[in-house]
Amino acid sequence: MTDRLDDAIELLKTTPAMSVESRVMAEVRRISGPTPRRRVFTWPRIATVGLALAAGLAAILLIPRTPDRLTPGESEGIAQFVGHFPGARSVEVVGSFNNWSRGLLHLRDENHDGIWHAAAVLPAGQHEYMFVVDGERWVTDPLAERFVDDGFGAGRENSVLIVRPAGQR
Amino acid sequence: MAHRDVGPPGGVNEQVNESLTDVEVVARVLGGDGEAFGILIRRYEPGLLRFATRMLGSADAAADAVAESLVRAYRHLGQCRDPGHLRSWLYRITGNRCRSHLARRHMSDVPLSEVPATALADHADSWTALERSEQVALVERALAKLPTEKREAFVLKHVEGLSYEEMAEVTGARIPTLKMRVHRAREALVVALGALV
Repeated sequence: MTDRLDDAIELLKTTPAMSVESRVMAEVRRISGPTPRRRVFTWPRIATVGLALAAGLAAILLIPRTPDRLTPGESEGIAQFVGHFPGARSVEVVGSFNNWSRGLLHLRDENHDGIWHAAAVLPAGQHEYMFVVDGERWVTDPLAERFVDDGFGAGRENSVLIVRPAGQR
Repeated sequence: MAHRDVGPPGGVNEQVNESLTDVEVVARVLGGDGEAFGILIRRYEPGLLRFATRMLGSADAAADAVAESLVRAYRHLGQCRDPGHLRSWLYRITGNRCRSHLARRHMSDVPLSEVPATALADHADSWTALERSEQVALVERALAKLPTEKREAFVLKHVEGLSYEEMAEVTGARIPTLKMRVHRAREALVVALGALV
């Protein structure tokens, strides 16, 4: 009977004759097109303020000052990120808006009081994000408005922020 | 993660691309070369499609699950904390997608064992291939009778050849639990195969 099981295993090793490469790469090209990635972080742009959105309640309450050099386009808004990370050496934000890439959006703690903040122009819509503390610790923003499962099965959650177009204020 | 200059995208010899390690390809993709993601697709697509097909019992559903998983992997590649274990990470995403698919199917009351096994229908251009596809369909039917967790453990171990350590990364289950699932799956499959024909 073991032989029969071995034969079955060999049959199951047959690779299905299909491919999803072209389908996936079409989506990859759509996602990584020049529009979102190159436009999001061309800040600061010199102009007047058009504050559209805060990342969460804490973002509204704790941000030391409004960003004064960011000007969102019609379909963009300003997102503010704030977190309390006493003793941290660095804090950055990665999210769906920057392909979860590190090194693009760093928070600052100018007063050395453990409150880190940053603002950025983002496309209007819903974005998922996380803080990366000291380059290695991924932290969900506990003060975000919403959370979603990160989809990787370990019970972790991404924070969610909704950016509204500046013109809809 | 080690970054290395691997030359401009598109102009690099294909063989060189395919010889890059996962860590190097991931670095390249995160560096902005989205086309390099194709290297990872070609590297892992066959196994992921086989895994999803055995889990779902349907080639079409498997193709959807794998395509969605790969797009999700691309979107969240920066969240892959250890690109050296990319294979486990991709199987994990695909496994989660398959479980979601099975949960939805369960709600619509279509037993997996009644889903026609069509994975090899396109291959059936000769009598031998047809015969083989029928044999595969029979075995898939027996496999489909296993509970999802046992089926997953059996396929990851015996069909995909993952180590128990990799299986633990994929499923989140402990190694002794996985060994027991594989053992029970083998027992159940022997019985199911005996009931066929």
